[in-house]
Amino acid sequence: MTSPAPPRLAVWLVALFAAGREAESLLGDMLEEFSLLASKSGVAFARSWYWRQTRKTITHLAGNAFRVAPGLIAATVIGGLLLHRLVSGLPERAIFAVLHRYQVFDHHFSTYVFFASDGIALGHVIASMLVGCVVAWAAKDREMVATMTIGFVLCAMTGAAVWAWVATGETFFLGALPWYFADWFAIVMGGAMVRSHRSAGTILSSNG
Amino acid sequence: MSGRDSLGEFEHIIVLALLRLEDRAYGVTVRQEIESRTRREVSIGAVYATLERLETKGYVKSHRGDPTPERGGRSKRFFRITVKGLAAVNRTQRALQSMSEGLELIRSYS
Repeated sequence: MTSPAPPRLAVWLVALFAAGREAESLLGDMLEEFSLLASKSGVAFARSWYWRQTRKTITHLAGNAFRVAPGLIAATVIGGLLLHRLVSGLPERAIFAVLHRYQVFDHHFSTYVFFASDGIALGHVIASMLVGCVVAWAAKDREMVATMTIGFVLCAMTGAAVWAWVATGETFFLGALPWYFADWFAIVMGGAMVRSHRSAGTILSSNG
Repeated sequence: MSGRDSLGEFEHIIVLALLRLEDRAYGVTVRQEIESRTRREVSIGAVYATLERLETKGYVKSHRGDPTPERGGRSKRFFRITVKGLAAVNRTQRALQSMSEGLELIRSYS
């Protein structure tokens, strides 16, 4: 009989937020207590405990990252926002350059429409993910806190812009909102990718 | 004595747990010791975040144990209080004793 395992998503989330060397012992401690609880009070109780611990642990680790390395977080967030601003126009320019170069408008109109609308939005998402990767690379061990802060700042800025548009009676295309969300999500996913890659490297090196 | 030399409430509790547990102090035992004595639920993240801070201040030092199968092959990280940490906990204890001297707290507020 195999021993019960803690929720994989919760384990992944803790590993994302725990700094390099602390992740191993922290996850080991949580697994040890989970196994104890599962044998004493049942798997369902142990899983619920694990999720509660994950939520509190992530909050503490994120708060601690701000306390321990405020300068690093601030620098990477500001740098990330500037980089995001710098690259946000690139997908549009690149896609239109290709569309004009191959005269897509004249020969394949539906393809032109797709690339000029959804293509550009997808380009933005990819560019945002790359920004997330660069920020995470710079914010060593604080990848998730830095990328999530950028996501929150962009979210707040968009919220303020939408509020200003609505307040001044200007029209706002609601259909664009999901793409904005996708942009922020892509930045955080970029951070998660770099973090997961680094964690895998740490595990490999600690296993010798 | 500067404000930096004294321990915060949770730091104080953690250091006292380390003193009680001696060479058995790692994440699980520290968390359980605090929970059983203070009767408040403590997250492992809070324990680690505080221990990390105490280690940065030089009040605590840590070393790794051997990986064990029941922990998924992950090693334990044992913590021990340093001489500087012991001095800090003594200062904090004295400050608390001095502040509570003459006050019948248990009788007045329980």
